[in-house]
Amino acid sequence: MRWFARRLVFYVFALWVALTINFLLPRMMPGSPIDGILQHLTPAQLAANPGIVKTYEALVGGGNNSIWQDYITYLSRIVHLDFGVSTSHYPAPVSQVIGQTLPYSIFLVGVAFFLSFLIGTGIGMFAAWRRGGAVDNILVPTFMALSAFPAFFTALLGLYFLGLKAGWFPIQHAYDNGLSPGFNWEFLSSAFRHAQLPILVILAAYTGGWMLNMRTVMINTIGEDYVTMAHAKGLSDRRVMTWYAGRNAILPPLNGFAALFASAVGGLVFIEYIFSYPGAGLTLQQAVLGNDYALAQALLVVLSVCVIVANLLMDVLNLILDPRLRTG
Amino acid sequence: MSQLDPTLDPALDLSLEAPRRIRRGFHVPGWLALLLSNTKSRLGLAMVGLVVVVAVIAPWISVADPNGFSLLAARQAPSWNHLFGTTDQGSDIFSQVVIGARRSLLLGFFAAALATSTAAVLGITAALLGGLVDDVVNVLINIFLVIPPIPLLVVMSGYVQDHGMTTMIVVLALVLWAFEARILRAQALSLKSRDFVDAARASGESTARIVFGELVPNMISRIAAAFVLVFYIALLVDAGLEFLGLADVSKTSWGVTLYWAQTNSTVLQGEWWPFFFPGAALAFTVLGLVLLLAGIDEFTNPRLRSEHKPHRSRLRMLFGGRLATREEGVS
Amino acid sequence: MTILVEQPSGSRRKTGLLELRGLAVEYGFGPRPARAVDGVDLALQEGEVLGLAGESGCGKTTIANAVLQILRPPARIAAGSILFEGEDILGKSTDDLRRYRWRNVSMVLQSAMNALNPVMRVGDQFVDAMRAHEKINRKRALARAGELLELVGIDHRRVSSYPHQLSGGMRQRVVIAMALSLEPELIILDEPTTALDVVVQREILQQVEALKRDFGFAVLFITHDLSLLLEFADRIAIMYAGEIVETAPAARLAENPQHPYTQGLLRSFPPLSGPLTPLTGIPGSPPDLRDPPTGCRFHPRCPHCLPEQADLYRRQTTERPTLRVIEQGHEVACHLVAEGAE
Repeated sequence: MRWFARRLVFYVFALWVALTINFLLPRMMPGSPIDGILQHLTPAQLAANPGIVKTYEALVGGGNNSIWQDYITYLSRIVHLDFGVSTSHYPAPVSQVIGQTLPYSIFLVGVAFFLSFLIGTGIGMFAAWRRGGAVDNILVPTFMALSAFPAFFTALLGLYFLGLKAGWFPIQHAYDNGLSPGFNWEFLSSAFRHAQLPILVILAAYTGGWMLNMRTVMINTIGEDYVTMAHAKGLSDRRVMTWYAGRNAILPPLNGFAALFASAVGGLVFIEYIFSYPGAGLTLQQAVLGNDYALAQALLVVLSVCVIVANLLMDVLNLILDPRLRTG
Repeated sequence: MSQLDPTLDPALDLSLEAPRRIRRGFHVPGWLALLLSNTKSRLGLAMVGLVVVVAVIAPWISVADPNGFSLLAARQAPSWNHLFGTTDQGSDIFSQVVIGARRSLLLGFFAAALATSTAAVLGITAALLGGLVDDVVNVLINIFLVIPPIPLLVVMSGYVQDHGMTTMIVVLALVLWAFEARILRAQALSLKSRDFVDAARASGESTARIVFGELVPNMISRIAAAFVLVFYIALLVDAGLEFLGLADVSKTSWGVTLYWAQTNSTVLQGEWWPFFFPGAALAFTVLGLVLLLAGIDEFTNPRLRSEHKPHRSRLRMLFGGRLATREEGVS
Repeated sequence: MTILVEQPSGSRRKTGLLELRGLAVEYGFGPRPARAVDGVDLALQEGEVLGLAGESGCGKTTIANAVLQILRPPARIAAGSILFEGEDILGKSTDDLRRYRWRNVSMVLQSAMNALNPVMRVGDQFVDAMRAHEKINRKRALARAGELLELVGIDHRRVSSYPHQLSGGMRQRVVIAMALSLEPELIILDEPTTALDVVVQREILQQVEALKRDFGFAVLFITHDLSLLLEFADRIAIMYAGEIVETAPAARLAENPQHPYTQGLLRSFPPLSGPLTPLTGIPGSPPDLRDPPTGCRFHPRCPHCLPEQADLYRRQTTERPTLRVIEQGHEVACHLVAEGAE
């Protein structure tokens, strides 16, 4: 439990540092982003929102306040989820834009990443168990090659061959045109069909990483005495592989989750961009291109929070799987 | 398979000797022989070498101005005149790809060099000094693992007005250094307890001297692996940023060609060549680097070698216990 | 199959519980595999404690793994047979083998400290072993696990502990209790106490002796520590470079070792009683099993192998000595001894 408390403290700290980096970034860069933002608003729009300039100043700097004053305002606005108004989606507030786009990304990356974890560790475990067997010789190199491919190249190839040429998958957007989001069968099935190809691409990109990691650890675990002992006890091969070797081998790859998940969230930007998928990644790219720094900055914060939350969930899982962490 | 076996014995012997040898003075034929002795790294080296050669001789083999503008020649499929076809603007894609290799490689190389040296110096120094310095570096590393790097880069490249080569190298290095700093730190931690470090410390050598004179030379293969890893990540990320339009899209590089392909929706119009060739060039280079990395990993961790090659398993049996594996360093 | 024919009328004679005949185990393939075990003959009677001693790497553990058929590639049995109650286990099907393990022969592993799965409760690891062999519900299996723990002096409530919550000595006892759980005829102890301090080591071995009296199992006790065997074993076999070089009842071996290697081993630790003599190790190191010395494998390290005695020297370096009975129950493979006996 002490371990978990330490992790929690670290996450809170990491969140604070991420926020601070986010606060400092625009202030350290040459030029003043605030002019870029204000360019996108007409005088009438500015007049209609008297507080807006102050909000932006607190977010990206450029006002007459001291940096400390800005910092306090910035933190308090973030706590209240007030990220200002998005200039590219004017007059929608940033939080609303995020609320509309983030669920798509969470769905996409959540499903795909979970699947890639299951498939990757499963194959890795089996490949190590049967060294030099069919799985080890065919599936492992295949997924390795796939994951060595740049994700956006895989996405483009998938879009062209599987989507456009073969026509198996829709190639754009999160749901069919003409539908509106809601909890009805029509929308959900459409959303599911549109997510298939992006999910396949993420699977192709990340399964190899889990697989290789699991295989390496598993190879070392198989040499452990408790695995030999399990064999000697006359347990079935399957039970030894899963409950003795696999159960232990899965712990180190879980600890590598943070870096891999953070990079998957990054890959999302490309995949959403290629498939015109209206998630947080595509929104981020468009916000940056359109100088909508308030939106961009808020998205970075939100994505960091997502990674932290995912890590927290993994830590809980780790705690369930490894009894040594509970008492240590 | 069996004809490859004779090369394996020297590979293992070299890897056992490598630390001692390199400590006396860096000798080129040694590490090159090591890289060439492994099938994977040999193939990887050949692939990367080919790309480098193409980049060097690019001005002589490119048939046209990569940014040439000709509506008459626009949107042509690959042919003998235009090996890789032409873009919407009628530019020759083959020329774009070979010339583009230069910018992509240079950017990736320097970003990787900067990131790796930062990671090595910070990681090793932290491990050696311990205490507060180590805590600070460790927390810093972990925080960089929590902030998603691509979104961070996207936002940063939005803030920087100037997308010149130097700026991009610094930005990339700033975000990517943490990737390997963690592994290098862990490795240094395990080396730190070895006798020769204690001996150096006991004889009153300075920290800098221990880092550069004792630790760095002994971790050179690990640092090389870190460099290769960051090199291809930098290549990918840089091409990705260009692809997203967050770089100087007036220059010629693989990512920029991809950007114009995406912007003009060429894929949706059934034109595969504007994205395929620059993408394949990038994939080829990355694959070469991945193979190179896999090769380096195999001789730092002999257990990873395929078991079904009988020759190797016997070697592993005989030497397995003595070689430190990578995992031991990481945990 | 041929072995079955050799058995008189195929019936189970009371002669031996376990018998190894010409067992050879190789590591690796190709033209020069390493023979970790090379032509070992060994027999174990019911209820007997047989000690197997030798330097590390001489093939002791390989024998243990071969008996349980848990050798992992690249190791494989190259020749010979392993008879358990007269039946060759090398011909058994995967399922029969699975049933044979632990039910007939169980094992306390080298460094048994790591023999417990760190992420499973101790009790569940008992349950696993029991339920792999018999129909028993979890609750009853757990209760039996508790009883077994009490047998080795551990509170039965420890079934719900995880291995990391137990001390090294306790983990060792847990593994011993687990080895008893199906009441096998034979328990292999492979360096069971090397990781423990001397006091705990002694306690545990005494406990094993007591349990042996109650349960009547036989023990194959593998260790590099000959002094332990002199105390606990009925009979001792000495192994060198994949071969058995001498077997004798423990008391006789201590008094009258014949093989120069056995003599060297005995000189490398202080006697428990009597005058102190200077300790001398055996110079040199065990040979590379990929390329063992010709003739007697011990000859490069043997103090009695001298070129001056030309005839003997020629035999020592070219002829492989075989085990010869020099007295009831005492066998030696050495040219020196053969010379004397003839």
